[in-house]
Amino acid sequence: MSGEHGELSTRTFVDVHAIQDELEQVRWGLHENGEFSEAAEHAAAEARASVLNLIAVVGSERQLTEVSHVLDALSVTNPSRTLILLAQHDRSAAKLEAEVSAQTRTESGHRVTTERVLLHAHGEVAAHLASLVDPLLIPDLPVVLWWPGRPDFDNPLFDDLCQLADRLVVDTDEGFETPDLQRLLEVARREHAGASIGDFNWARLIPWRHLAAQFFDMPGMLVHLAQIQGVAVYHGRDGSTAQARLLGGWIRGRMTTLGMEVPVELRLDDAHEHGVCRFLIYSRGQDGQARFSISHQPGGRLSAEVRVDEQDFVDRTVRLARRSAEELLAIELTLPGHDLLFEEALAASLR
Amino acid sequence: MAQAVTTPLTQNVLREGLILPRTPDPAVMVIFGASGDLTARKLMPALYNLALNRYLPSGFSVIGVADTALSEAEYKANMAEAVRKFSRTQPVDHAVWQSVADGLSYVRMPFDDADGYGRLAAELERMDRERGTNGNRVFYFATAPQFFPVIVERLGASGIARAGQGWKRVVIEKPFGHDLKSAQALNQAIHAVFTEQQVYRIDHYLGKETVQNVLVFRFANGIFEPIWNRRYVDHIQITVAEDIGIERRGKYYETAGALRDIFQNHLLQLLSIAAMEAPANFDADTVRDEKVKVLKSIHPIEVAKDVIRGQYGPGWVGGQQVPGYRQEQNVSPASTTETYVAARLRIDNWRWAETPFYLRTGKRLPSRASEIAIQFKNAPHLPFARTAIQDLAPNVLVMRIQPHEGASLKIAAKIPGPVMRLRTVNMDFFYGSSFLIESPDAYERLVLDCLLGDPTLFAREDEVERAWGLADTIEKSWGMQPAADFPNYAAGTWGPEAADALLERDGRRWRRP
Repeated sequence: MSGEHGELSTRTFVDVHAIQDELEQVRWGLHENGEFSEAAEHAAAEARASVLNLIAVVGSERQLTEVSHVLDALSVTNPSRTLILLAQHDRSAAKLEAEVSAQTRTESGHRVTTERVLLHAHGEVAAHLASLVDPLLIPDLPVVLWWPGRPDFDNPLFDDLCQLADRLVVDTDEGFETPDLQRLLEVARREHAGASIGDFNWARLIPWRHLAAQFFDMPGMLVHLAQIQGVAVYHGRDGSTAQARLLGGWIRGRMTTLGMEVPVELRLDDAHEHGVCRFLIYSRGQDGQARFSISHQPGGRLSAEVRVDEQDFVDRTVRLARRSAEELLAIELTLPGHDLLFEEALAASLR
Repeated sequence: MAQAVTTPLTQNVLREGLILPRTPDPAVMVIFGASGDLTARKLMPALYNLALNRYLPSGFSVIGVADTALSEAEYKANMAEAVRKFSRTQPVDHAVWQSVADGLSYVRMPFDDADGYGRLAAELERMDRERGTNGNRVFYFATAPQFFPVIVERLGASGIARAGQGWKRVVIEKPFGHDLKSAQALNQAIHAVFTEQQVYRIDHYLGKETVQNVLVFRFANGIFEPIWNRRYVDHIQITVAEDIGIERRGKYYETAGALRDIFQNHLLQLLSIAAMEAPANFDADTVRDEKVKVLKSIHPIEVAKDVIRGQYGPGWVGGQQVPGYRQEQNVSPASTTETYVAARLRIDNWRWAETPFYLRTGKRLPSRASEIAIQFKNAPHLPFARTAIQDLAPNVLVMRIQPHEGASLKIAAKIPGPVMRLRTVNMDFFYGSSFLIESPDAYERLVLDCLLGDPTLFAREDEVERAWGLADTIEKSWGMQPAADFPNYAAGTWGPEAADALLERDGRRWRRP
């Protein structure tokens, strides 16, 4: 990716009107006194592409640095107004600082500018940052709330921001336990202003789901789908089991639409470090006995095998790309509306 | 224990929510011309990338057919090398390639050899038996066009074209004939063995994301279609400009020229897409019916008046001195082959009557650009003092196909200050800045569509024949009056002066794309 990257302005404010003014200034590249320079005039004569408002909530300076890197990488492909909230309500001294900047990149002769506002709050005000966020959003564009790490569900900030957002993006791999998954489902199913949920972990499961679905596209295999007796999801020893639960929840939820209750077994595979490593679907009925298996192979691959009545069918190998946070977030930013399948899987994983 | 469903399932419920509606059926693709350039550069890398992204079914197999002395192992090694060199995704994943190569085999035979087809039939049966491909076949003609009829004939005579169960499809590469007569003869030869529903004629332009985007732009946005007509549009310019010369294709190009190489297919496809009525749905025949209607509505063309041809002489392109066309390899020093065509077309229907469409394509132009530009009529009256309408550039909506695919709209705006001064500004949108997803190669999309049995993005018989009819009219008129002034534009310029005059006559100018 070629291009220049410039920070047009960085200053500290606490007044929302001052932030708005500064945003206009950096948006159009104006001088401090509001006059046009020739270059600024040229820049202003170009339309500005913005596709969304993006709010990222971080809890520490370290996390801020990581998140900033991800957002930098996204700015060319998803020009947006970005608000980063560094909310540290547990720090006692009350503090509220704002920093406005614009990143301009030129790629293949096209300028893309992303404005970024960093709101840094300590103490009580940290819980009420949403009141500052609302007036800073660009109208008519969707609002995506990205919460890296496990959100603090009981902080009023979480609820307030979810009310503003059209989509909440999390990564359930970040230690989400049963009550956390339950809270996510509540957000998605809220009657009024319910945000849709995006989950990096769900996106990581796409290749698994795809391969599993393809088994039953093979000629003569669909009959076995109606005879599924159970599934087993193997997962690694470290971290959250949310991914394995979601995969199990997915097939369980899907089979419920056929009126079938499929038992899901989660099994620990000590040899594997992290995440889902094997997915087995067993079926038995008048059309025989079948086992469909997908396994994680070293070197970032998935292999798929089918065995029907002791006979092996063609197996194959596909890539399981390890997606970076930028890629996963980029996927989430292009998805519209509620992902009903995710909600179905989430609900089924909690049954 | 789960209670099994008793009524037979008709739908794969696991498929829901995944991007592809379904996976293609397991099939064997037979590539004729398997040792050629197209197979190495485009087809094999496309198949590998489809496999990589899980789009190919289990058991998918390929039989390469060519008359080159190669063992199966050598053939596989060549293909591995081709994928390594030409795949758009790098590095190549060896395990994934291996799973493609497992289903790859090679049959050596001349394309007219009856015994060879016997061996091919045996190999196909083996694939069905061992890999569960169920008689599903794609016959991909990646050979020189003179072999198309004999391959079709032998596929029919040997029974391969109809053998057993499963579907059979034929993919035919461009050029599809070299004039109307030869295109009709080829269609006839094909239809002696295959029905039109089985035939997939490739125009890789249609596989491009951005060409499909033109349809989305027009028919998924409510604000453009109401002004997409003669009331608001002054004229339309469609450009396919190339900065390269003919490279090493002199032998082919001498017999083709810009008219056959680009105008007859890519330019007319873009014209159809820009001018067509909204289809009722995106079914293959509905879309293609609308496209053919456009071609049928083209006003009879007065070649001497409305079509300009050109040939490049030596010049400078991109800071490099380049030879003229007649100095290129395998080109006659007195060649009258055109490397540039511009045409003024009119479409006789209610939407476009009296609205000219200016089409142009050429080699060795200053830059590479493919675009459709809609120039709107001026505002009827300007209420601002001391500003004349003619001082303002009209609104132009440009859909760029390549490079930097996107759209831009030129609008008038006030220059800040106490005086009312207006100027034109460009609102630019490029797709790359909104979607991170890497666009697949056109061949990946087209091969997948063929495997899925969706011919929407392939040219239909009547479409091809209509387009040739138009090209023939031009060719015939040119044949009666060979070009006397070639070369008539220098490499690195925007074509011959006569092309500028074509628009100036109407009080218009070519855009600089």
